[in-house]
Amino acid sequence: MKLARSALLLAGLAGALLLAPPARAQAQALDRAGLVQELCGDAGAMGRAGATLAATAAAGSDEDRAWAAPLARAAIDRKLGCDETGAVLEEGGLDAVTRTPRAATGTPRAPLLSLRNRPVFELGDAAFALRGAPDPARRAAALKTLERRPALIPERLLDRAAEAETDAGLKEQIDTLAQTAALNAADPAARIRAIGRVAENPSRRALTRISALARDPAYEANPEFRAAVDAATARIERGIAIGDALATLYNGLSFASILFMAAIGLAIIFGLMGVINLAQGELIMIGAYVTWLVQQGLRAVAPGLLDWYLILAIPVAFLVTAAIGIALEASLLRHLYKRPLMSLLATWAVSLFLMNLVRVVFGTQNLQFETPFYVTGGVPVIGDFIFTWNRMFAIAFAALTLALTWALVRRTPFGLNIRAVTQNRDMAACIGIPTRRVDMMAFGLGSGLAGLAGLALSPIYSVNPQMGQNFIIDAFMVVVLGGVGTIAGTVVAALGIGQINVLIEPLWGAVAAKVIVLLMIIAFLQWRPEGLFAVKGRRK
Amino acid sequence: MSRIGPTSPIVLLIGLIILVAMAMAGLAGTEFALSRYLANAIGQLAAFAVLAISLDLIWGYLGILSLGHGLFFALGGYLMAMYLLKHSFEITATVPDFLQFMGWKDFPFYWAGFEFFPYALAVAVVVTLLVSGIFGYVSFRSRVGGVYFAIITQALVYVAMLLMFRNDTGFGGNNGMTGFTVLFGWPMGTSGMITALAVASLLVLAWVLLGCRWLVGSRFGALMLATRDDETRLRTMGYETLRLKLIVWCLSALIAMLAGMLYVPQVGIINPRVLSPELSLEIAVWVAIGGRGHLVGAVIGALLVNAVKFWLSSAAPEIWPFILSGLIVLVVLVFPNGLMDIAKFKFVRPMGAKRLAADLGESRP
Amino acid sequence: MSLTALLVDGVTVRFGSFRALDDLSLAIDYGEVRAIIGPNGAGKTTLLDVISGITRPKQGRVLFDGATDLTEISEAAIARAGLRRKFQKPSVFKGLSVRRHIAIGADVGFRARLDAPALEDRIDEVLEIVGLADQAGRLAGELSHGQKQWLEIGMVLASDPKVLMLDEPVAGLTDEETERTAALVRALRRPDRAIVVVEHDMDFVERIADRVTVLHEGRTLFEGSMAHVRADAAVVDVYLGR
Ligand SMILES: Nc1ncnc2c1ncn2[C@@H]1O[C@H](COP(=O)(O)OP(=O)(O)OP(=O)(O)O)[C@@H](O)[C@H]1O
Ligand SMILES: [Mg+2]
Repeated sequence: MKLARSALLLAGLAGALLLAPPARAQAQALDRAGLVQELCGDAGAMGRAGATLAATAAAGSDEDRAWAAPLARAAIDRKLGCDETGAVLEEGGLDAVTRTPRAATGTPRAPLLSLRNRPVFELGDAAFALRGAPDPARRAAALKTLERRPALIPERLLDRAAEAETDAGLKEQIDTLAQTAALNAADPAARIRAIGRVAENPSRRALTRISALARDPAYEANPEFRAAVDAATARIERGIAIGDALATLYNGLSFASILFMAAIGLAIIFGLMGVINLAQGELIMIGAYVTWLVQQGLRAVAPGLLDWYLILAIPVAFLVTAAIGIALEASLLRHLYKRPLMSLLATWAVSLFLMNLVRVVFGTQNLQFETPFYVTGGVPVIGDFIFTWNRMFAIAFAALTLALTWALVRRTPFGLNIRAVTQNRDMAACIGIPTRRVDMMAFGLGSGLAGLAGLALSPIYSVNPQMGQNFIIDAFMVVVLGGVGTIAGTVVAALGIGQINVLIEPLWGAVAAKVIVLLMIIAFLQWRPEGLFAVKGRRK
Repeated sequence: MSRIGPTSPIVLLIGLIILVAMAMAGLAGTEFALSRYLANAIGQLAAFAVLAISLDLIWGYLGILSLGHGLFFALGGYLMAMYLLKHSFEITATVPDFLQFMGWKDFPFYWAGFEFFPYALAVAVVVTLLVSGIFGYVSFRSRVGGVYFAIITQALVYVAMLLMFRNDTGFGGNNGMTGFTVLFGWPMGTSGMITALAVASLLVLAWVLLGCRWLVGSRFGALMLATRDDETRLRTMGYETLRLKLIVWCLSALIAMLAGMLYVPQVGIINPRVLSPELSLEIAVWVAIGGRGHLVGAVIGALLVNAVKFWLSSAAPEIWPFILSGLIVLVVLVFPNGLMDIAKFKFVRPMGAKRLAADLGESRP
Repeated sequence: MSLTALLVDGVTVRFGSFRALDDLSLAIDYGEVRAIIGPNGAGKTTLLDVISGITRPKQGRVLFDGATDLTEISEAAIARAGLRRKFQKPSVFKGLSVRRHIAIGADVGFRARLDAPALEDRIDEVLEIVGLADQAGRLAGELSHGQKQWLEIGMVLASDPKVLMLDEPVAGLTDEETERTAALVRALRRPDRAIVVVEHDMDFVERIADRVTVLHEGRTLFEGSMAHVRADAAVVDVYLGR
């Protein structure tokens, strides 16, 4: 019984919605005298006048708007004096219609807005303010007023306001409100159009808004509306899914970039000398610290260039870590090539030393980095995926490093020497390649690349004396997986490990990701013990 | 097969260890008894020496460097801690901190039975054999060795550490397990208990030394050295080196586990930090400093490094890392066979350091 | 016992795109000493690698005694089946005494199976044969190059193998030592044993070999007696020279 009645009611309502003429039809030319007369009329007339005012704010000509704007305010403030000949605006003593100075005749009556009419006038006033007020603060306040009653906002008002708006933040808010308003509009066709427009920019917020419409009465009553809502929901969900997938890929790519940067130096050194440099993590850390020192230096000497410290630090970080690497090679590792396991211990000693040295000199706290404009913010792409510049920086940096390293190894005499010594040290020595020098320079190169890795990750990760430890084991795994001393192997392995980590993390957590990656690597080694891109050497 | 005379270092060392153990046991309770601190330190050092032997067995004699031996040490330690907590709970009914911390009413189901020491010991043995057996099998089967093996074991112990840092595993998480009050029905923390634990550790050390000496002196030991020097050669002589390596690897893991079981009741706590890659690397440093491939060297290395560390960690903890790294560099560059070099340089083989290193037969991967 | 000890059947080994052995087939009989010669890189060592299980071929099989496919069993199993090999580069265990080497060669297993006196006798016998009796207690790492070569031969002999493979046994030896090696190889020849020798020293090959196989670029270039080899134009072209 009750159900039937409410169904009937709903049907009636829907019918009324469909049949009702467009409530705020474009006022071709404003009947100014009629409007003023209505303003002075009874509550019903005043209501109509309020609606006309709002419609004018939305669609009226510029003159009409300029003319009508004071009326809404005056009605709210009861500064409108009605008399026999019409009405007078008390402020300035102007005739309400002609805007020529005149005094009121007799005792003017200031009409009182009814409880129902008041919001209509407030809305109209805000509408005028949003489009006309020169002060952004006033426009923002007007927008707040409009937000309270999205259903009453005249259709084209917000679009026009957005077009003219000069403040970017405000403009975005207006757009958002426009969508909400359109979604809640009385005209079903407008609502459906609005639904379509919201679905064009899928995000979790858009999804909440659209899915809220599934509880709207119109969803049950109007099949067209329902179809639109369902289609939009599906579209937004797809968009979100794509966005999430892209975001995962993007995060994976940026993590892979860092891994690659950390591992490429290791891989070159390992391929060349069979030495795993356990101090590579600390060289990364030193790269980050050098970057910080460059920043501090610029702050003191040339504050104007502060924003460019990340770029200016590139050669410094590379050279400092490369010099440390060369010193290490010459003093320590040179004596250990025939004893790779001992070189593990030796490089660990170096790692311990460097970490504690930095701890003593700089303390254990995280360093503070400026965020230059080119690594700030990002571009929203689809769904909730934002193409952030700090990650892009790391990716681009890694790509550039990859290109340069590749060119260096493949296209220069030094690279040729590295490859020769990697493949057959004795033969290389026989044909006159100075293998010791090559070792030293290559160690410098590998260490310098670690320094660059430190620079690249300083905008993303926290920088402290222990930071090297966080990457180094993943970097080892990249080298193991990629195979000895191949750039291609390092790239593929870094991408694989980076992506798998990022894929698993949201499902089972970071620890599980590490466990699974390790197990996968061990399993993989069953199949290819030499890694992905092994250069098979021969026994004896 | 090889004979050992009564004055060979290993006999002297075992004799000394047993002598100290007997003296400690005999003097307990008298005015000549060692201070609790010293007795406890001796006990811990003995546990570390056992741990060093376990690594020397595979590194020095088999040429396989594990940078993850802390894993097995921690396994023994954690399972011992489980026994201690459960046992203490049975007697004193105090609920361990970590259960309260997690808001759990009762022990997780896998703690069942841990109040019985034989069960705890059996679980420790089985789990150690399983972990070392599976990991060893897959690694050795695919012929992963050298530096590869070293860094994969390091990753293994690192991942285990991350796992144990989680609080929801039921093993104490971040804070680990502590608050042991009773061992085999006796209250812990008394001088008697401290001395007893130290003596037990010393005796286990003597026993492990003896057993390992027998092993490396046997034909099997010769095959271990042969595997270290040239595994392919040995395989083409008809020996399944995979089996041999697996046996020694698992044995080594068991010894490390044993060390962990001795260690935990003496320090009174276990937490994930024993799984940090640094500790596992440090074990390798003890062995390197003492001299790889010499059981006596491993023991002396462990004792020496840890004694200095004990002393410094109260006197000047911040300079310890610098001293340790300096020691490593010194050993690696100047005394590739650790303390054994110092002895050999003088008395036995006046050879260059390089030649000695070559003799130890580490080859490029 | 079939007459054919080893049947190499269509074996191909690739390293990348390079074929070290290219569809190679050959048969080695019991009772013969077979020399395999050829220029550097011809694939001689690779062939021994395949037979001893160190390298697995892409294609083909190696039948031992007409029954066992050696490409399917482990190196250790191959050795236990009675195939032993001396490597091109002397491979000894630096940390073990000479005596221990022979013991390891004479008896397979983690625990000795021969009873002690029998084993000791065997070791003494082998040491005598390879002339290292007075070095028995020394560590292998301390031996000279020639002594290492002999030690490895002794290790391989000690097991009394059915198939004996020697990769360049006289490389780096003096003339006198080469002479002794030749005599040893001839003495080891038995009806139930096949001996495969890879060598570059043609005089040595001439003295020991019953038949000679010439490999070139992974294929058989020629097979026959040494006299015929010397006469063959193709072999002279690619290997022996004029
Ligand atoms: N593991 C490997 N990886 C790549 N190439 C290899 C490998 N093993 C052998 N080769 C190549 O295969 C070819 C054959 O090598 P092999 O050692 O069998 O020659 P050989 O006849 O024994 O030569 P030599 O007389 O110099 O000993 C050579 O060109 C060698 O470089
Ligand atoms: Mg060869």
